[in-house]
Amino acid sequence: MLKVSLRSLLSHKLRLVLTAVAIILGVTFVAGTLVLTDTIRSTFQGVLSNVDKGVAVVVKGPAPATAVGRLSGATLPLPESVLAKVKTVSGVADAVGVLDRTGVAFLVNGQEVGSREGARGLNWVTDPQLTQFQLTSGTAPQSSGDVVINAATATDAHLTVGQQVQVSFEASAAETFTISGIATWGGQTSIAGEGFALFTLPTAESFLEANSTFDAIDVSAASGVTDLQLRDDVATTLSGSKVQVQTGAQASSQTEQNAVTEINEFIGAPLLVFAFIAVFVGSFLIANTFSILVAQRTQELALLRALGATRGQVFTEVITEAALTGVLASLAGFLLGILVADGLIHIFSSSTKLSVQPDALITSLLVGTIITVIAAALPARRATRIAPVAALRESQPEIQDLPRTRIGFGLLLFLGGVAWLLVILFTASAAAGPSLEALGLSVLAIFLGTALLAPVLVRPVATVLGWPARFRGAPGRLAGENARRNPRRTALTAAALMIGLALVTAVAVITDSLEASINQAIDGTVKAQLVVLDEGSGGFSPQVASTLRSDPRLADISEIRGSDALVGDISTGVTGLDTSNVGSIFSFSMTAGSAASIDTLNTTIVDSTEAATENVHVGSVVDVTFPNGNMVEMTVGGIYTPDALISGYLVSLSTLNPQLSTVRDSDVAMNPAAGVSLSAADASLLNDLRTYPELSGLTKTQYKNLISAGLNTFLNLIYVLLGLAIIIAVVGIINTLALSVLERTRELGLLRAVGMTRGQTREMIAWESVIIALIGAVLGLAVGAGLGIAMVSALHNDGISQTAVPGNNLILYAVAAGLFGILASIFPAIRASHVDVLKAVTSE
Amino acid sequence: MSLTQTVPSPPSPPPPPLPDAAPIAARALDAVKVYGRGETAVRALDGISADFAARQFTAIMGASGSGKSTLLHCLAGLDRLTSGQVFIAGYELGGLNDHQLTLLRREKVGFIFQSLNLVPTLNAMENIVLPLTIAGRKPDQAVLDAVIQMTGLADRLRHRPTELSGGQQQRVAAARALVSRPEIIFADEPTGNLDSKAGGELLAFLRKAVDDLGQTIVMVTHDAFAASHTDRVIFLADGRLVQEMPSPTTDSILAVVRHLGD
Repeated sequence: MLKVSLRSLLSHKLRLVLTAVAIILGVTFVAGTLVLTDTIRSTFQGVLSNVDKGVAVVVKGPAPATAVGRLSGATLPLPESVLAKVKTVSGVADAVGVLDRTGVAFLVNGQEVGSREGARGLNWVTDPQLTQFQLTSGTAPQSSGDVVINAATATDAHLTVGQQVQVSFEASAAETFTISGIATWGGQTSIAGEGFALFTLPTAESFLEANSTFDAIDVSAASGVTDLQLRDDVATTLSGSKVQVQTGAQASSQTEQNAVTEINEFIGAPLLVFAFIAVFVGSFLIANTFSILVAQRTQELALLRALGATRGQVFTEVITEAALTGVLASLAGFLLGILVADGLIHIFSSSTKLSVQPDALITSLLVGTIITVIAAALPARRATRIAPVAALRESQPEIQDLPRTRIGFGLLLFLGGVAWLLVILFTASAAAGPSLEALGLSVLAIFLGTALLAPVLVRPVATVLGWPARFRGAPGRLAGENARRNPRRTALTAAALMIGLALVTAVAVITDSLEASINQAIDGTVKAQLVVLDEGSGGFSPQVASTLRSDPRLADISEIRGSDALVGDISTGVTGLDTSNVGSIFSFSMTAGSAASIDTLNTTIVDSTEAATENVHVGSVVDVTFPNGNMVEMTVGGIYTPDALISGYLVSLSTLNPQLSTVRDSDVAMNPAAGVSLSAADASLLNDLRTYPELSGLTKTQYKNLISAGLNTFLNLIYVLLGLAIIIAVVGIINTLALSVLERTRELGLLRAVGMTRGQTREMIAWESVIIALIGAVLGLAVGAGLGIAMVSALHNDGISQTAVPGNNLILYAVAAGLFGILASIFPAIRASHVDVLKAVTSE
Repeated sequence: MSLTQTVPSPPSPPPPPLPDAAPIAARALDAVKVYGRGETAVRALDGISADFAARQFTAIMGASGSGKSTLLHCLAGLDRLTSGQVFIAGYELGGLNDHQLTLLRREKVGFIFQSLNLVPTLNAMENIVLPLTIAGRKPDQAVLDAVIQMTGLADRLRHRPTELSGGQQQRVAAARALVSRPEIIFADEPTGNLDSKAGGELLAFLRKAVDDLGQTIVMVTHDAFAASHTDRVIFLADGRLVQEMPSPTTDSILAVVRHLGD
């Protein structure tokens, strides 16, 4: 029987290829993601082990008190005095203090250069055992005006040794340095994309505002002393201080863990989600193709049954074909995935070698094969139902009845999925949010349910959508009939497109609602007309605000600062506001107490959602823990309604400042001075900011546009990621049409014989395709809008106060679907119009 | 998995009161087959009783709608009766489930259809041994050689069905039916799509199989010439057995057929 499967497979290579395309595309995405993340991980691991070779022991500060349950790896700074203590430990060959701060930017002619991720500032360590950097040209920094920059920045900005470059730290006014040398980190031209600037220790301490602290102390061991021994000795000497002491190996391994987790969480997991969506959509294609193939092979399979093949043997035969297709296609997909990953890696770095793990191969093979087999299972089961008598008859049953059990099951899945989703969304805990797995599964149930129910909707929807086609005469009418002829097949084909469009629509609804909510927040809560912010990293020096205060055209200069905090055991945020002019900058809608209460030291107002979660009222006392470990008792003076912009605990700057180790502003808001027009004030503001090129001065309208642009970029990214799923869905339509044209050879020949022209034939197929695509669009938009609205409603209390359905986008999607339909019909239509009339109408 | 493993050995049916007490390969007893319901019901078989002797070539003839194909399907286990009984090799088909029917077809029955007999992706040899492949058995080499010799297609065994003429395809189908030495072979209009020469060759082949190999063949046909090759012809009209004719000739058959039209 295996031979029958193999022969059957090889004899129709075109149909093999069409089925395989879906699997190949899906598996390519999966394999590409896996290889990409494996490569990034292994590159990082390789470099880290290289870089920390000479470090025997690392001393770091404690983790921030607010980093509960979050693996961030950031630690608080150490006082300089610890270094002296460490040096006293016997067995220590050398100990150096290390400063390592993010927020550095390189500027040339007032323009920011180098990596988009910014750069880090560090001190140059001379001890060759303990330094992480290697000079490729020039010398180490000697004087206070020297800097060593990373090779990537030097290349990108065409900088060489001896030239000058401006460097700024956290958007403070830039200082000019001379490039004394160019260096690499563990052989890499940047630190995982980030640039770096190395100064002498005294320069670093003042430029990076270290305030007599270090970020870490690296220690090398004297010969004969093991790392573990030294670690213990140092720990003993430092017992009583709040420090973490690890061996060099432990520290690297921890950094590695954090990096790996981050890579997995932020790159790997999201990409795999989209990859699995593509594979899921592909499964519809496979199910459909095998369904059609089984229908086409009715005679052959009936013959096998007549000759004594059992149902089990027929089932196995079809499944074997599916499994073979799955394995071959998965292999092809895996190889393609490697190519794609290679291409992507080369965009970022030409020297990285791919890391192709056996895991990636096995996962790709399993995913592709299992999905194919599962998708082919129902059609295979249907194959067993072919009566042996069918071997004697030529015509295939064309009008399909809708089996009640399947519809019932579909309804159950759909309603069950909807109910589950609503329960998840509305009972999710405020802290953790909804479980992503449960969310995904409930959405899956909804999609499957809709796919099973879709056949019921095909007839009425096709009638409505086919109505305009009637005006085109026979081709249009026939097209409508054809789409309705086999509702199950039409529904399955359309379902694939439905999934892609539903996801796109849901995301569009969510982003549109988010935008509307933010706009409402800006219009409602924010009274300030101008704002200064850093579009990149966030914090900037209070120097900026001082500069602005001396500008006569600007008034109500109001600094805003923030910090992570722990209240009870819930992670939240504390925002500090300038109480002297907060009334002209913000207007809060209070549900209890007063906003002015934050004037009093250690008094806070909290948003109503959080107040409800933590059971807090006006007059309650809350314990607020800051990253440095300090706990402050604050009294709640009021409760306000949160929105998309502002939530959490609000206090005065005087309350917040003592708890911050470095004072940075996240925004500065202001108004034009009395009698000054907005445009004049804006011009003046931009003029003031010329020395801070990383900062932007924006009017309210520009701020709204900034948010809008950001959301659009996100939406475009989603389009790209879901694009593959949509391509697979369109391939599905091509597939179905092509195979159905093959099936209808007789009928098409008949139509041509009685006078339908080639052009009319093509038009008929095109209309069919458009109707199928539009069915998918209608279902997709409906389900997607529903999903989006459900999710947005659940987030009402978390700031997305508005539910906005982007009507324009939806119309665009529907039109795009129609166009895809026309595109998909080209190949099948040409085939249909070239049917050999004579051969088709004479019997075999 | 074989039939005898799933169904206990059946009691032999009572021997018919025939003078020469020849063994029966297949039997229909009061067979009734109704299609559809209520007003649109069609009584394709209206209580037919017929015996088909072993080692004989029997033809079933009748006009379209006479029920001849339906009778064949029901005898062969491809379709089920509404009422009545069918026996093959001693097994009463009504008492077998689908799985057992399948095994019965595999082990006891051979088929030759009018067209679309062969699996298009397998070559002639593979088609010939297909039933055995399905059963997981190896063919009896002596039988296989003999049958291939009879077809005269020894040099075309590697060809696919599309590379063979209609007559050759039907001979391959006939060879397939013979190779597993079934109790009975059912042929449904096997010469229907063939020209007279190819048809003649096929009929000679079938005749030889009955005479030399002792095979039992039941053939449905509307062609008097084809039926003249058989040992006995039974005539159906409106779902009923109306006449039997042993030792038929083309002329005697045509006479009956003309008479049936009155």
